[in-house]
Amino acid sequence: MRHPKRTGRLSGPGRKVQLATAAMLLVATTMAACGDGKDDGATTSAPAAPATIPELTTDPLTLSFIWFEWPPAQALEAFANEEYKKERPNVTIKVNTVPNANWHDAMFTQFAARKTDFDIAILDSQHIGEAVTNGNILDITEFVKNNIEVDAYNPYLLAAYGQFPQAETGQRDENASLYGLPLLGDTWTMIYRKDLIGDEPPKTWDEMISVAEKCQADNPGVSGLAFHQANGSDAAAVTYNTVNGVYGGNLWDAKNRKIEGVLNDAAGQEAMDVLVNKMKPLTAKGSGNWFIDEVNAAVAQGKACIAFNWIAASGGLLDPKESTLGSTREQILDKLGFATLPSQKTDLVPLGGMGMHVSAYSAKDNQAEALNFMKWFERADIQKKWAAAGGVPSRTDALESPEFLNAGPFNQVYADSVPRMRDMWNVPEYARLVDIENTNVNAALNGAKSPQQALDDIAKEQQAVLDSSNRKGGGGL
Amino acid sequence: MVSTTPPARGRFRRLSDRGLAVAFISPALLLLLAMSVFPLLWALYLSFTDYSATRGGPARWVGFGNYTAVLTSAQVHQRTLTTLIYVVGAVTLQTVLGFTIAYLISRRTRGRGVLTTLFLVPMMLSPVVVGLFWRFMLDAQFGVINSMLGSLGIGQVEWLTRQRTALISLIVVDTWQWTPFIMLIALAGLTAVPKYLYEAASIDRASEWFRFRTITLPLVWPLLLIAVLFRAIEAFRLFDLVYILTNGGPGVSTETLSFHVYKVAFLGFNTGTASAYGILMVLVVIVLTQLYLRYLNKLKEG
Repeated sequence: MRHPKRTGRLSGPGRKVQLATAAMLLVATTMAACGDGKDDGATTSAPAAPATIPELTTDPLTLSFIWFEWPPAQALEAFANEEYKKERPNVTIKVNTVPNANWHDAMFTQFAARKTDFDIAILDSQHIGEAVTNGNILDITEFVKNNIEVDAYNPYLLAAYGQFPQAETGQRDENASLYGLPLLGDTWTMIYRKDLIGDEPPKTWDEMISVAEKCQADNPGVSGLAFHQANGSDAAAVTYNTVNGVYGGNLWDAKNRKIEGVLNDAAGQEAMDVLVNKMKPLTAKGSGNWFIDEVNAAVAQGKACIAFNWIAASGGLLDPKESTLGSTREQILDKLGFATLPSQKTDLVPLGGMGMHVSAYSAKDNQAEALNFMKWFERADIQKKWAAAGGVPSRTDALESPEFLNAGPFNQVYADSVPRMRDMWNVPEYARLVDIENTNVNAALNGAKSPQQALDDIAKEQQAVLDSSNRKGGGGL
Repeated sequence: MVSTTPPARGRFRRLSDRGLAVAFISPALLLLLAMSVFPLLWALYLSFTDYSATRGGPARWVGFGNYTAVLTSAQVHQRTLTTLIYVVGAVTLQTVLGFTIAYLISRRTRGRGVLTTLFLVPMMLSPVVVGLFWRFMLDAQFGVINSMLGSLGIGQVEWLTRQRTALISLIVVDTWQWTPFIMLIALAGLTAVPKYLYEAASIDRASEWFRFRTITLPLVWPLLLIAVLFRAIEAFRLFDLVYILTNGGPGVSTETLSFHVYKVAFLGFNTGTASAYGILMVLVVIVLTQLYLRYLNKLKEG
């Protein structure tokens, strides 16, 4: 088919004028888009917050948080609006939430735009390195010195949710800078069926596996274990890291930034073998994409003998409307027990929870209000009220208070777990490291890779990420 | 009554036809420049740098470093193979099913409109919604698919968590949603086939198969190929269904090229590499489309 020759085509000079106009428009668009020029040569270290709280506005102000969608987010908004308003009636607290899988992207894409619709980012402890290196959150070291009772905390909790560079397990560097304060403490709890395996929880990991095996054999339709296996967020990675810690493994040699040969040493291999060959066969078929909600659903529907989940996400298990284990909270508690994780070669447990971090791109009035809120939130009386409202505080006095210990059957588990916590790598490359681990552990759990191959691939790929900082092009592959 | 009032004298000189045309086109042109042309050119520039959207600082020129890295990466090769299997599987299945359904509908005279509308429903749904309800339907524990298989005596299938079944599941869900698109275009083609050709063939006592092979298929074929082209381009950049259904798993076995670009761009914020990756994907689509269109033109000329 031949197309007829187009008519009405512009003559030479007219066409040139139009082309020139289009080119100018394009240049103008480009200039407008890049106009502020802030990217060029912008500082990449976190700006400092004032040491004292600046004068606060009396105008109506909304203090916005960003978190992921789960019960503590609603609890925080309700608690803060009820209690903080008593002191600052002109302030409204808004906790914006996104699905867990989008949490990192939602915060860091806004940071990338140098403009945020939140004043306080609730960062996972491992996000701090990325945010600090990029200058996205305020350095609050001087503010903390002048406004927060640092001695009131277990030093590791204060360090885990705010310090960068990362604290070694159980230690805090007094000279390191702080970029956040604890909001919600968390760790894994072992949830077990008292009516199926007895009142006493297993004490060692090996014992836990054999109890789960027997329970599964004795109760058709009920799986021995339920735990996180999904390849999104940090689901499968936390599971492997937990078993790795319990069996005496290490995630990396932080000092020398070495992963290969450390993660996949004999202890790491044993942990992967236990996870894939001993624990996985005790899970429900098709559970290879389970995360927090799916594990909770399995427990609530009476389909698991022993499960592992974050304490902060376990409150719903006691809701009779969501459970088939009983029509009252007491009936459910007759069947469900909560315990600290079994130990094996070590007694390490995963550090969960998050801290509050002030956005460097928030308006000055909002930054001042954010600092005031953080100072208020970390007060002893408020921490106890937060505990009573369902939150997990970090101050030692609040952790030991009856308000906290009596608020939920798993709170004692948290208090007992604090000295046993271990975190992941808190480095700017965290998002890529955790994705590598997630996808490979998930592949091993679902038969797409052998355990040994998956572990070696994790070590090799993660090492390549740490070593690629000076690579010319192709970063991210 | 005819008004004799002369038109009011404008304060400005009257616009010429060309001026009017420019005035009308300018808003759309500006929008196109700002929303499409500029981002594309900007991405092209970034693809030659090591720029990261979160790290800030100036973008360092790395020449073709990003392109070389993408083209030589084993990870990219793996995603290319996955995408290729997906595109070929999904588009083939959709074409066969879409054309078959269209052919059957075109032979009906009663209820044709209702049937066509019903078949089009999946296409009108958001891929995220489709992904979510298929995720529930394919769940190994409580999904309706396994429940139906169970009643037939077939055991539980792990649709979304096993390497082979996960990719098949993606193809099936995409086919469920997009077969109507092929069907619609094929139906338009079938409706346009002149009736007298069939009548002449009937007079010559041509068989059904002969009529299909020598009249229907050759006349519908060019239109069908255009539908296949659209679907192949769409399937090539599949992201949403993967994100919702498998998140690329198990492991990375259902990660498509688009999903991988997303990870490179937003997990490590390697904006330069992700730009090069995206530009290469666009280039592949353009080259393949050009080849395809040439074939199509040749077919029409023939």
